[in-house]
Amino acid sequence: MSKPRVAFFDFTCCEGCQLQVANFGETLLDILNLIEVVTFREAMSEKSEDYDVAIIEGSITTEHDVERIKHIRSRAKVLVAYGSCATIGGINGMKNKFPLDEIGKYVYQDKAKHFPTLPTRAVHQVVKVDYFVNGCPVYQPEFVKVLKCILAGIPYAVPDYAVCVECKLNENVCMYDKGITCLGPVTKAGCNSWCINNGNICYGCRGMVTNPAKNGQMDILKKFNIALDWIINKLDMYNKPRELDERK
Amino acid sequence: MQYQVLKKSSFNDFIASLARIEKVVAPVARGYNTFSFQEVKDGQDVAVKYIPTILPPKKYFFPQREKLIEFNKSAGTLEALLEYEKMVIFGVHTCDLAGIQCLNMVFSDKPKDINYLVRKNKIIIIGLECNEYCDQYASCKVVDNHLPNGGYDLFFTELTDSFIVHVNTIYGDELIDKTRLFNPAEQIHLDQLEAVRQKKREIFKDEVKVNHNDLAKLFDKSFDSKVWDDLDARCIACGNCTNVCPSCYCFDMLDNLNLDLNTGDRTRMWDGCQNEPFAKVAGGENFRKTRGARQRHRYFRKFKYPVERYSRYFCTGCGRCTRTCMAKISLKETINALVDSKEEKK
Amino acid sequence: MKTAKLTDSEYLVKAGKIIRARQMTKIEKLFEISLPGGESLDHEPGQFVMVSIPGVGEAPLSISSSPTKRGSFEIVVRNVGKVTNALHKFDTGDTVGIRGPFGKGFPVQILEGNDLLFVAGGLGIVPLRSLINFVIDNRRDFGKVNILLGCKTPQDMLFGEEVDSWSKRLDVNFDITVDRCEDPDYNGNIGLITKLIPGVTLDPERTFAAVIGPPIMYKFVIIELLKKNIPERQILVSLERHMKCGIGKCGHCQIQNYYCCKDGPVFTYDQIKDKKEAL
Ligand SMILES: Cc1cc2nc3c(=O)[nH]c(=O)nc-3n(C[C@H](O)[C@H](O)[C@H](O)COP(=O)(O)OP(=O)(O)OC[C@H]3O[C@@H](n4cnc5c(N)ncnc54)[C@H](O)[C@@H]3O)c2cc1C
Ligand code: SF4
Ligand code: SF4
Ligand code: FES
Repeated sequence: MSKPRVAFFDFTCCEGCQLQVANFGETLLDILNLIEVVTFREAMSEKSEDYDVAIIEGSITTEHDVERIKHIRSRAKVLVAYGSCATIGGINGMKNKFPLDEIGKYVYQDKAKHFPTLPTRAVHQVVKVDYFVNGCPVYQPEFVKVLKCILAGIPYAVPDYAVCVECKLNENVCMYDKGITCLGPVTKAGCNSWCINNGNICYGCRGMVTNPAKNGQMDILKKFNIALDWIINKLDMYNKPRELDERK
Repeated sequence: MQYQVLKKSSFNDFIASLARIEKVVAPVARGYNTFSFQEVKDGQDVAVKYIPTILPPKKYFFPQREKLIEFNKSAGTLEALLEYEKMVIFGVHTCDLAGIQCLNMVFSDKPKDINYLVRKNKIIIIGLECNEYCDQYASCKVVDNHLPNGGYDLFFTELTDSFIVHVNTIYGDELIDKTRLFNPAEQIHLDQLEAVRQKKREIFKDEVKVNHNDLAKLFDKSFDSKVWDDLDARCIACGNCTNVCPSCYCFDMLDNLNLDLNTGDRTRMWDGCQNEPFAKVAGGENFRKTRGARQRHRYFRKFKYPVERYSRYFCTGCGRCTRTCMAKISLKETINALVDSKEEKK
Repeated sequence: MKTAKLTDSEYLVKAGKIIRARQMTKIEKLFEISLPGGESLDHEPGQFVMVSIPGVGEAPLSISSSPTKRGSFEIVVRNVGKVTNALHKFDTGDTVGIRGPFGKGFPVQILEGNDLLFVAGGLGIVPLRSLINFVIDNRRDFGKVNILLGCKTPQDMLFGEEVDSWSKRLDVNFDITVDRCEDPDYNGNIGLITKLIPGVTLDPERTFAAVIGPPIMYKFVIIELLKKNIPERQILVSLERHMKCGIGKCGHCQIQNYYCCKDGPVFTYDQIKDKKEAL
């Protein structure tokens, strides 16, 4: 098989996830043996180019984004949502907490009408996504795993259980034992509890498990004396656009 | 076999000399009243007084992730393998000894699990008695694990200024010989040991409103109890309870492909019945869809099903599930609630 | 950490050579597999094998052929996910990993001399076919044989020719129904399989019923069988659960105190009727 051509595309994001790829070190060389990386700043202008795998960073926030992602989808054999912004809307989703025109005014003041904006959406909320690499930034070993799945032509399923599962397997001292609130119990695993292994709490960057226990969670907040607003703010930091899934 | 005595002042030397012979793991303090089994080089590293570790010593017998198969696709080869390490585990409480006995039963049940059985014989176990309750979550008396019931090579009980050590196997005896720090126990030590045990018989009382034998019968009648609805509302399915349990042994099988896309392995990894996808089948049916049904399954797998299959409780009384539960679901409270609600049916 | 090679691991697989592959429907593919050196799989009807592809994974799949067929065995794979999808890309000449046979199959010794009622819905024909062909190949050892089949539409019927040959046999009573059919020329039964049961004449005391189908089918079929006074311990069902090890360890397949992979997948209705979570 000839090396698949892989292209990275940025949408609304910080491009931090791409940095993760550059940080791969030795594994990067092994990966480059398997794929050919082709990058485009702007998809529309390179109609003649072709690619097999499109790796999408960032969330969909404008009409232009929508057109562009549809175009990429039509050309790519495999489409990968990469990083929190692309997989769950991520930080950009926080703007969904405010009415759109208010945000426009706040960011662009009186020029707001020249910058039409849409509610932030994750990529799968606009086009079909074949592979998800969650996380902000993505967890390198998981990305490598997904790449191997793409190359082997098999699906990759993001674990649908809590980060606590991996955290326990790693035998970390639970943040709650330290008196600190952690979003591990509601967040999808797959990162090998990376943050907690390094002394940080889980910020929920991978998105919520599909069937979180709403009542149970509320109970816990009460028991640990944690204000609901505070936790919703924390959760919304990455997870706001999940509401668009729930409504579907 | 016989009893030996180790002076407390020689304890550090004992661990240090053991560590020169073999890898030694023992409970180590992690702060916030948490502990874990880790490699130690000296007695000072060891937390002799500790409450059950975050993960039980199960992790050495049945590791979190374990390669079972390695393959090479282009060469068409596939081999079964065993990864193991010789070691001495020091400081295993009686509840965790019982946990290892449970796993022994499961993995030697036919068809036998060779990986487990070979690995287990590479490990020397040194038990350590709890002279009093670890904390309010322990419930080792009702499942009869508060006193030693075998399963160790050596067993330490703390006396005033020494440890009295029961030598149970020749492997334990070898360690006594090699470390050269022990003296044969005298009558006074045996008397002190009996005093410790006598006191324990007074302190350790059935921790729930039902005794050892009636516990299994309680579960005969509890499948439809409302108590499971309560747990359904509270449990968040984080899976902590099953992951820390010394007698849980469910696993998943995962294939990994290396970057050459040619070689790789088949690995088993701990899994748990609390995790949402655990019992889902193709076609989407999930036979234990609700968190309540999964909690019920967990309890029944400790107090009923293993009694039918292996004639013993698989709850060791260590209290880990209660200590770790996000929702503060308590094993003792659940059992008491079942006792209270025994008469009412849905 | 040391590593040793194991020759007696339960997780070792045999190299199964695909000697025939046939796409049966859009989502179902049949594979005929032979083991190294022509070794016989030596299974009972109703048992299953773990089929694997290195780097992808393993899946439990029923053995569809009868043990009377020697030298090779057949499986039918419905494409639903990772392993099954990868299997669909395999063809004659390819090799898959085989572990097994596993589980308790149908108790053929007990069935001997008795009348039989087979009820298969949808993919249930795949495992039941193993027993049906076993019985047909040893026809004189059994009493009356009734076969009832159900599927979504006539196009979904698997093993069409073979089913046809069963239907033509004089020593077999045969009936079939479909959930729906758009073809105006079709003049067979339309409706659920439960509707076929009342019409069967049988002697309940000496009849064993073997039922395999999707989860929802069991409840309704069993009600009909009980109405016919077939004793509970003479109703045999095969249950499907998530399975990872196949040998009673991993816990995925547990139905209360039963391991479906080891104590089943074939159970008598008597064994499971009081087990909530079973049906
Ligand atoms: C005893 C038995 C006999 C079976 N016989 C057949 C057969 O003859 N033909 C056939 O096509 N299918 C059969 N199945 C079902 C088949 O095992 C599953 O479809 C297959 O395991 C799915 O694997 P996958 O990797 O393709 O799916 P995945 O991508 O892993 O998952 C797809 C769906 O299948 C479920 N699933 C995953 N693994 C399993 C598993 N080990 N067991 C059950 N469900 C699972 C998942 O929860 C998910 O809902 C049988 C199952 C059992 C237990
Ligand atoms: S630290 Fe966070 S992720 Fe880890 S067990 Fe505790 S709550 Fe879960
Ligand atoms: S630890 Fe508690 S909340 Fe978590 S799965 Fe177990 S019972 Fe439920
Ligand atoms: S499949 Fe593992 S216990 Fe049944």
